Amino acid sequence: MQGLVDIWVDIQSWILETAVFPLLFRLGYMTFSEDAPFVVETMMLGVVQIVVILVVFRGLEWLAPVERWPNRRLARVDILYTLLNKLGLLPFAVFVVLYPVNDWLQDAVREHGLVMPTVEQFIPWLRDKPLLLFAVYFLLYDLAGYWLHRLQHALPWWWALHSLHHSQRQVTCWSDDRNHLLDDLLTSVYFALVALLIGVQPGQYVTLLLLGRLIESFSHANVRFGFGRVMDKVVVDPWFHRTHHARANAAEPHIHDSNFGAVLPLWDLMFGTALYDYKRRPTGVDQPDVDADNGKGWMGQQLAGLDRLSRAVLASLRPRQLVHPAE
Amino acid sequence: MSSPTSRLSLAAACLVVGIGVAEPGFAVPELAIILNSDEASLSIVDRQTMKEVDRRPVGREPHHFMLTPDGKELVVGSTVTNELTFLDPVTTEVRRRVSDILDPYQLGFSPDGKWFVTAAYRMNHVDVYDAKDFRLVKRLPLATMPSHLAFSRDSALVLVTMQGSNQVVAISLATQEVAWTVDVGEAPAGLYLTPDQRRLVVGLTGEDAVAVVDVPSRRVTKWIVTGRGAHNIFRMPDDDTKVLVTNRLEGTISVLDTTKLEILDTIRAPGGPDDLDFAPDGKQIWVTQRWRRKVMAIDLATKQILGVVNVGRSPHGIYINGPGTISRSVAAPPVPTDKTALSPVNLPGAKGR
Repeated sequence: MQGLVDIWVDIQSWILETAVFPLLFRLGYMTFSEDAPFVVETMMLGVVQIVVILVVFRGLEWLAPVERWPNRRLARVDILYTLLNKLGLLPFAVFVVLYPVNDWLQDAVREHGLVMPTVEQFIPWLRDKPLLLFAVYFLLYDLAGYWLHRLQHALPWWWALHSLHHSQRQVTCWSDDRNHLLDDLLTSVYFALVALLIGVQPGQYVTLLLLGRLIESFSHANVRFGFGRVMDKVVVDPWFHRTHHARANAAEPHIHDSNFGAVLPLWDLMFGTALYDYKRRPTGVDQPDVDADNGKGWMGQQLAGLDRLSRAVLASLRPRQLVHPAE
Repeated sequence: MSSPTSRLSLAAACLVVGIGVAEPGFAVPELAIILNSDEASLSIVDRQTMKEVDRRPVGREPHHFMLTPDGKELVVGSTVTNELTFLDPVTTEVRRRVSDILDPYQLGFSPDGKWFVTAAYRMNHVDVYDAKDFRLVKRLPLATMPSHLAFSRDSALVLVTMQGSNQVVAISLATQEVAWTVDVGEAPAGLYLTPDQRRLVVGLTGEDAVAVVDVPSRRVTKWIVTGRGAHNIFRMPDDDTKVLVTNRLEGTISVLDTTKLEILDTIRAPGGPDDLDFAPDGKQIWVTQRWRRKVMAIDLATKQILGVVNVGRSPHGIYINGPGTISRSVAAPPVPTDKTALSPVNLPGAKGR
């Protein structure tokens, strides 16, 4: 195991020493050198995820697809989303936008003399159990993610953005990162607030964080198997998540308002949104303007999302027509 | 890695070199303690076998150490957990914790033992606490990235490098206000006041040099090229005229004469050398390699790397535990030669980490 860690660290050091630090130095951004190893490692993890998706998940989709399509034309754009996201370009753009917001939040906390709590402060016993502490944070962040996802579906203006993720008629292992940029930004702000409230999730267990991201990618895979009737109550599998991506219809108008969990189905089981019926359903969104995302490129989908958002905001501002029963 | 096996290894290491007590005449375990700043742990390395013998939990993202003025406790600042952990500097056992210390990235006690000061690198402020009870006395918002601290001998001032705004800020500990600032160059980090109190040497991480500030006139009078990413500065034991400068990007350590203001020697130290500490005999340095997750031991006479030890993620602060540890921290500072100027900062045992 140490041998693998050594290789990983050697690659990371080589990238930092030969490319990143000289570039930061030349550009006069050495103040960011403390963050550079994290950024490089995130990109390296992105490469690992892409390789796993390409080799393992795509292989499984080829061997045991749940849906067969004449071609994967609609799914192709999701590869671009994945590359942009996993290689850190979109997260970097979000970080640049969020940087002042984060500063503002920290200033606000400081000005009020607040020291925000951490889980360790509430449960000091956890301080000496780093793996358990990580597990607690993982649970809390997954729970926060569950409620974020509920909001994305419940608030019309947020659904206008999030529906881009759901519009895909060919959901594959590449679809996890298919999101509107503004949706990504809002998600980041949400988790920044969560971090402020409960503390920052420990990041040292890279393998476990990687596993979580891979589970999210795999849950979108177009495969006709899951983890079994016991394990699928423990970890989100493709059957579970495909139900969440099911296209609504007259008989099941709220089918996509189920199975919100990202990694753990626990929250759906707890809050009554779990649906385990193992039915095969087509995926997508039963709204013509959203369904029109299919066939569009990355930019077209981003613009369409903005258009939907503006219409949703305008609709919410319009005064409601009150109709008297007598009329 | 806090397994029973590793604890046994640590116990064995202690037994081999003697029981871990700090009384004169007793041997103490020859250990190095390293803060893994991307984790919530510290590594304990047996310097004789050059092996990590234990990895212990501590508050999250610990960056720097500082000995208490009496030398009896080693204080670890955990930046994300917002707390201080007090260790026994010899046995490394946790003695107590103090919470609600916001982002204690860099920390230090004023030489008179009255104040405890922290630099909150992420949160952009410097805090002044009462050293007796760690009660917050003053919070000074500063822009931006307060990075390293140094005190004047008379405890009148604490000097802070501002890594984001390229300045050194002097804060009066009497009024707890900013007394003066000086622009020094790109991304200043470690700083060192010469014994005559007239010169301040500042490592410029965004440059390939240290800046020399003439303290009375508060002007940069000279740049001395050391290597790209000049970062931290450490006084050589028993020689106030020489300092070591770690050059993170260059992968070297420069030996700088602070009286002649010239480089005497350069030591190869790959992997982002950051903090270092001296072995008790002063013949070896132990250096953290920030992005290689290792520490290395270097022989100062031969400039050879004696060994490299795997530790945790982003090792930052390092503290050598061994004979002389206690005396290093409580030895009286040298008498200033000029009482009108500022005095040297780096008390023995408080090496401007």
